[in-house]
Amino acid sequence: MKFKKLAALGLVSSLLFAAAACGDDDDSDSTKGDGDSSSDALAAPAKDTKATLRVWLNGPDTPQDMRDWAIAEFKKQYPNVTVKIEEQEWDGLVPRLTTALDSADTPDIVEMGNTQAQEFEAAGALTDLSSKLDELGGDDLLESLKEAGSYNEQFYGLPLYAGARVVTYRTDLFEKSKLEVPTTLDEFVEAGKKLQKDNASTPNFSGIYFPGRNWQAMLSFIWDAGGDIATQSDGEWTGTLADKESVDGLTTVQDIMKNANKAPADSDDRNDYIDFCANEVGMLMGPGWKQGQIEEECPALKGKLGVFPLPGSDGDVAPSFLGGSVLGLSAKGKNQGLAYQFLKLINGDEFQTQYAENSLIPNKKSLLDKVAGSPGALAQAEAAENSRFTPSSEFWAQVEGDNILQDMGTQIGNGDDVEKAASTANDAIVEILNQ
Amino acid sequence: MTTGVLPEEGMVPGEPTPSGSTPASRPGRGGLLGRVKALPYALTIPALVALAAGLGWPLVRLVIMSTQDYGLRQQFGAPAPNVGLDNFTEIFGDSYFWEVLRRSLVFCFLAVTLTMVAGTAVAVLLGKLGRVMRTALSVSLLLAWATPALTATVVWQWIFDSRFGVVNWALTKLGFDYEGHSWVSEPLSFFFVALLIVVWMGIPFIAFTLHAAMTQIPDEVMEAAAIDGASSWQRFRDVTWPGIKPIFVVLLALSTMWDLRVFTQIYVLQQAGGVTRDTNLLGTWAYRTGVGSQQFGKGAAIALVMVGLALLLTLFHIRQMFKQEEI
Repeated sequence: MKFKKLAALGLVSSLLFAAAACGDDDDSDSTKGDGDSSSDALAAPAKDTKATLRVWLNGPDTPQDMRDWAIAEFKKQYPNVTVKIEEQEWDGLVPRLTTALDSADTPDIVEMGNTQAQEFEAAGALTDLSSKLDELGGDDLLESLKEAGSYNEQFYGLPLYAGARVVTYRTDLFEKSKLEVPTTLDEFVEAGKKLQKDNASTPNFSGIYFPGRNWQAMLSFIWDAGGDIATQSDGEWTGTLADKESVDGLTTVQDIMKNANKAPADSDDRNDYIDFCANEVGMLMGPGWKQGQIEEECPALKGKLGVFPLPGSDGDVAPSFLGGSVLGLSAKGKNQGLAYQFLKLINGDEFQTQYAENSLIPNKKSLLDKVAGSPGALAQAEAAENSRFTPSSEFWAQVEGDNILQDMGTQIGNGDDVEKAASTANDAIVEILNQ
Repeated sequence: MTTGVLPEEGMVPGEPTPSGSTPASRPGRGGLLGRVKALPYALTIPALVALAAGLGWPLVRLVIMSTQDYGLRQQFGAPAPNVGLDNFTEIFGDSYFWEVLRRSLVFCFLAVTLTMVAGTAVAVLLGKLGRVMRTALSVSLLLAWATPALTATVVWQWIFDSRFGVVNWALTKLGFDYEGHSWVSEPLSFFFVALLIVVWMGIPFIAFTLHAAMTQIPDEVMEAAAIDGASSWQRFRDVTWPGIKPIFVVLLALSTMWDLRVFTQIYVLQQAGGVTRDTNLLGTWAYRTGVGSQQFGKGAAIALVMVGLALLLTLFHIRQMFKQEEI
């Protein structure tokens, strides 16, 4: 029976396909330069250059108005260049960058989280901008973000903006429950529980909206309790996530998730404004621009929103994770010169001031006084004074890529044993950092 | 398998006859023989080239990479140190590998069993239905089959969404407490949802193919069996089943392979909130190790182990097929 032979052949070849699909479609041109700063490549191209410049910006952090402004301005400088800004989701960004930066149609400019950039700098995926550091602002650039943009004394990533997490809350619900703005962490948790109780008639109401995968918010509780993710000595990382202090902090997180929260354990904070707009949230921990986003999505809540920095156990401001972004030029990009010109535009005071207006922290110290006006920005500036970071390792991006802290949060939100969840995550993190 | 696939000697056309009736105008005996023998092979060249380019090279790269310490630096041009079989020793020495392997095998077994049983049942149903209902069922099956895996998974994920999903809504309306229940965050219910999607997507192909096979069984035989007093179950077991068995075995092998390397459904559900470490199957583990953690060498080694495993599992089926042929 011929048919069987064919079938057997088919089986074997689809097996091979399965294997090949797992393989890596990769670089034939391994002879590429090491991205060294041949300043020629970064020189300003002729005004009539024709090209398309692809820029990856992540999430909604850079509002559409600012994008439109940058595209229009660049059109004035280079009328024949089309700038395409492609929005990427923060979720799953690292694997996407891994493959995109190595491909023939790599984006020219990419935005990376401050905790993710070093890995790509170390690997040689980005163009060395060391010779341009002074031109881009030098010592005026925000120190911590400049560090995120540097590897081995070389400069690859231009700081884009920073942001600390603050609490956005409903002033009208606070009044109804006769609550004051909390001044300690305990008061914060109690306020959340009281809101939860007073608004029990609203289905799905969360006193403190805390989805399981919002790991950045969890860090504040760990740090406030005296814990940390991992510490380094002599090049060796020691995990501290399962230590008593860290577990104490995470136990508070579980208390909130269980008793003051209805957000699902399996989701993150991406769509929290939807629940906020549905009147189902009393307080949430998010970036400084959250208030602006909510007011834009549901104008009915205008005038009913307030912002404060998360208070710590000692009555001071609780430590919080200082997020932020850096911009890098893909070493394989074909429009290095143009991309650098665009980078300069983004780095300009005019563009950066717009970040301040949108409740983010601009990339230069000299612009910090522009962060006035909105209460969100002020609370954020206060929170930023006590900011902390994830372990500074080129391998940290893998921890994020592997969803390790997110998974831990899901388990904690599910009511699993905190110590066990923390210790699983701890082992996984140490293994990655010490590879 | 080595001899069975090649054409047998006697089948080669144009073998010169001993009578020597070769016309004088044709080239000499040796030349003719050489040309005729080469021709079938020459005809396979385009296909072989395409296979080698599209499949062979990536596979060779995969094998090479599995013996290297290949990370992000190597991805961007640094030389890759050779580590021999270290990647494999590391995998086999990792207790997590055995956990994932066991999980994958159990998942594969359940998915294949459910798909084959349900697929066969639907195939029988297709043969029994009237014209209108058969068309309706065929169209529904086709739609399910034509839906890309990613789209289907996202739709199913919405159906089971903890806040807005219709399943929680319906169960709550029925009086159960499923308000905000998270289906994907517990491994067991995660795999329940994943299994549902995989089986749902696998049924149409099985049903159509088996239905086609069943139509090849002559009606007279079935009729005769019925007249002889065979019940419908007896007719299926003794007439239909032997007729469709060869195809059933092929489908079984294909399903085993597909379900062993299931990826999209698991990956999407993990992104939707499943705990990655507790829900990885071989496919997602290879990806997360390779691309996610940038240990491309180890990822390649896992992928190769997967291929070996799939070969091992299907070898059994392939042997079955050739055994039947010999009878």
